[in-house]
Amino acid sequence: MRNSLLIALREWKERIGSRSFVALSLAGPLVVLGCIYLLFAFGSQPKQHWKVLIADPTGLMANKIMPGEDQAVDYAFADGYIEIDEFANAKKYQGFDALLEVNEKVLSNKVSHVFYRNEPSVRMQTKVQYHYERRLEEILVGEFTDLSLQDFRKIKQPITVKFTNAYDPEDKASDMTGWVGFFYGALIFAFIFLFGMTILRSVSREKSNRIVEVLLASVSPNQLMVGKIIGVGLAAFAQFVIWMVVIAVGLYFMRENLFPDLLDASKMNVQELVLSSAEQSYQEAHFAAREYNQFVDLIYSQVQFFNMTGFFLLFFAGGYLFYGALFAAVGATMGSESDGQQFVLPLIFLLIFALYSGYYVLNYPETTLATFFHYLPFTSPVVVMVKLSIGYEPGHAYEIYLAFFVLLIGAFIMMAIASRLYKNGILQFGHRVRLKHLFKWLKRS
Amino acid sequence: MLEVKNINKSFYRNAALTDVSLHVNKGEILGLLGPNGAGKTTLIRIINRIVQQDSGSVRFDGNLMTEKDLQHIGYLPEERGLYKNMTVEAHAIFLARLRGLSKKDAKIKIEYWFDRFGINDWRKKRIEELSKGMAQKVQFICTVLHEPKLLILDEPFSGFDPINVELIKQELIEMKATGKTIILSSHNMKSVEEICDRVVLIHQSKKVAEGKLSELQEERKLGLYAVRFRGSMIAFVNALWTGFEVVDKQILGDDRFEVSLKMRGENSFDDLLNVLIGQVKMEAAWEVLPSMQDVFIEIVQTKKEIEDEK
Repeated sequence: MRNSLLIALREWKERIGSRSFVALSLAGPLVVLGCIYLLFAFGSQPKQHWKVLIADPTGLMANKIMPGEDQAVDYAFADGYIEIDEFANAKKYQGFDALLEVNEKVLSNKVSHVFYRNEPSVRMQTKVQYHYERRLEEILVGEFTDLSLQDFRKIKQPITVKFTNAYDPEDKASDMTGWVGFFYGALIFAFIFLFGMTILRSVSREKSNRIVEVLLASVSPNQLMVGKIIGVGLAAFAQFVIWMVVIAVGLYFMRENLFPDLLDASKMNVQELVLSSAEQSYQEAHFAAREYNQFVDLIYSQVQFFNMTGFFLLFFAGGYLFYGALFAAVGATMGSESDGQQFVLPLIFLLIFALYSGYYVLNYPETTLATFFHYLPFTSPVVVMVKLSIGYEPGHAYEIYLAFFVLLIGAFIMMAIASRLYKNGILQFGHRVRLKHLFKWLKRS
Repeated sequence: MLEVKNINKSFYRNAALTDVSLHVNKGEILGLLGPNGAGKTTLIRIINRIVQQDSGSVRFDGNLMTEKDLQHIGYLPEERGLYKNMTVEAHAIFLARLRGLSKKDAKIKIEYWFDRFGINDWRKKRIEELSKGMAQKVQFICTVLHEPKLLILDEPFSGFDPINVELIKQELIEMKATGKTIILSSHNMKSVEEICDRVVLIHQSKKVAEGKLSELQEERKLGLYAVRFRGSMIAFVNALWTGFEVVDKQILGDDRFEVSLKMRGENSFDDLLNVLIGQVKMEAAWEVLPSMQDVFIEIVQTKKEIEDEK
């Protein structure tokens, strides 16, 4: 054990002293923060400004729409029919983003068409629909009731009906949180690949510069392999901690300085926003609030970072031991540093398959295949993260620990197999790795 | 000190070692000789527990060898490497600690050995900055740093210039004097002749000869004698007459020669000296023993001929 620790210590020092480690420790979290910044910044930007031409040949609208002002949309009226081709191609209409066609039957069939040049955001669609709907309401109230418009508005109160999952009243398991779980899983595999390759390169370098024989005169191949996996794993762990700290500090900084209003928790309550917008339709208010808050809400309140990070570390450790042993074995079986790339490819496929399994579970969390992926050591680190963020059924939390237990057993079996390949391959030089070699080395004690 | 008994090892049905036994006494330097691919490195790896033998045993200090005994062995493999991006000192400390030394003790030993080899200025340099010879010195120091009882050196002189070969040789002789046991595998026969007490020769996975150098040479001597003299070659040949046969001659100068010859009949070395003294000016005369290289080649070729005949 002492020797394994010495090997681990050397590996750890070499890794954290390398330029690539320092670069990745800073660049990685900054890229993540940059992406989050862009999502926030994009989400809080004023909506695109639109010019809408209303073709109203019957004069139903009386050249009027929306009493209030909305800076996001400008309306103009045309009193004749406009063909789509004409709107699309005629020079005089090029200044308009969309054409709203008010036909004479709208009051009976309640259908109108909007022809656009570039697809509008859902928010813009809602705005136009809202403005048009309110103007038609005015007309309908005047035509079919004796009520004043003010009285009509009083009657037409927005009622919020919230549909809530009885098992998940706080909606922690929305699609978005599922993606956060997937992100965590992907992060596990990104780290496994990154540091797995580090193990592989380190082993093959020791082989090619022949230091391995000096080491093997003092430590057993198993101790050497375990020491290497632990040392590189500790470096990976250190890097992860740095990532988490930098990202946490970055998010805090963003909340306090860059987006103080956007990220104000008091403005993140959908219900409150809806109620305060009595003048707006429920649809509009709800949509605006949802769009405004969804990502922010996800990052700052829905995701249970502490919980997720705890399980992330557990499954990262298990997954890393499982795959790390495989990478070490491949490194040991390589005849030269350039050789053996052919065996890296299947490993990469395996990692991609694991990521795909996470995506599959995100979409079909309750299928038998999802359950299989949940316990399969090759895929469980990413799948458990996804399931964890979607949420386990009450009383099924033991499934996480069961999956971890299976992963640990898988890791130990993989270590045993890898140790055999490592032991028998580490002193073979200059050969081309073939599958038959691997089988022979596996059989040999 | 070390006893290897009936070791067998094969790789994929190819025998690497067949029933090899040998022993090394305390304070002895044993030369392990053999052509490339004979099985020397496999034997050394088995002694170092890097490779497991199929059968047979290795005893260290009278007991079956265990992993713990590795701390008393210093091993310098033929193809040795260093971590290129480590400093010389960090590298030496790392390997010394793997061999059981504490960091503090390792530093004390490093101080001593770096001084002794004159590389104290290099301790903070990275290995990649060292010349090949310098790196070889570091490797040698790393091998002996933990003061092992048994040193196993596979081609320790390769890569060294003659001055450093001499330096290493002197170190080995001094270590032997302090009671260290050394196994030396080398193709440098001159060095083997100079410092080894006994040799073991391995050929095609089998031990084919073992013994003291002088014994092996004695067994294979061809009855040749050499004489170095000043004078006339004609006078020299006339003096020999029919009692001796000239095998070879070398002209060293205008009237200076070195001649190899064989005795005829019952003639002895004394007879040779008697007939020559007074005829030429004798500088030296000696019995020619086969060099270690000759012994090596002779044994290997004899075995090959026997194999061919089979």
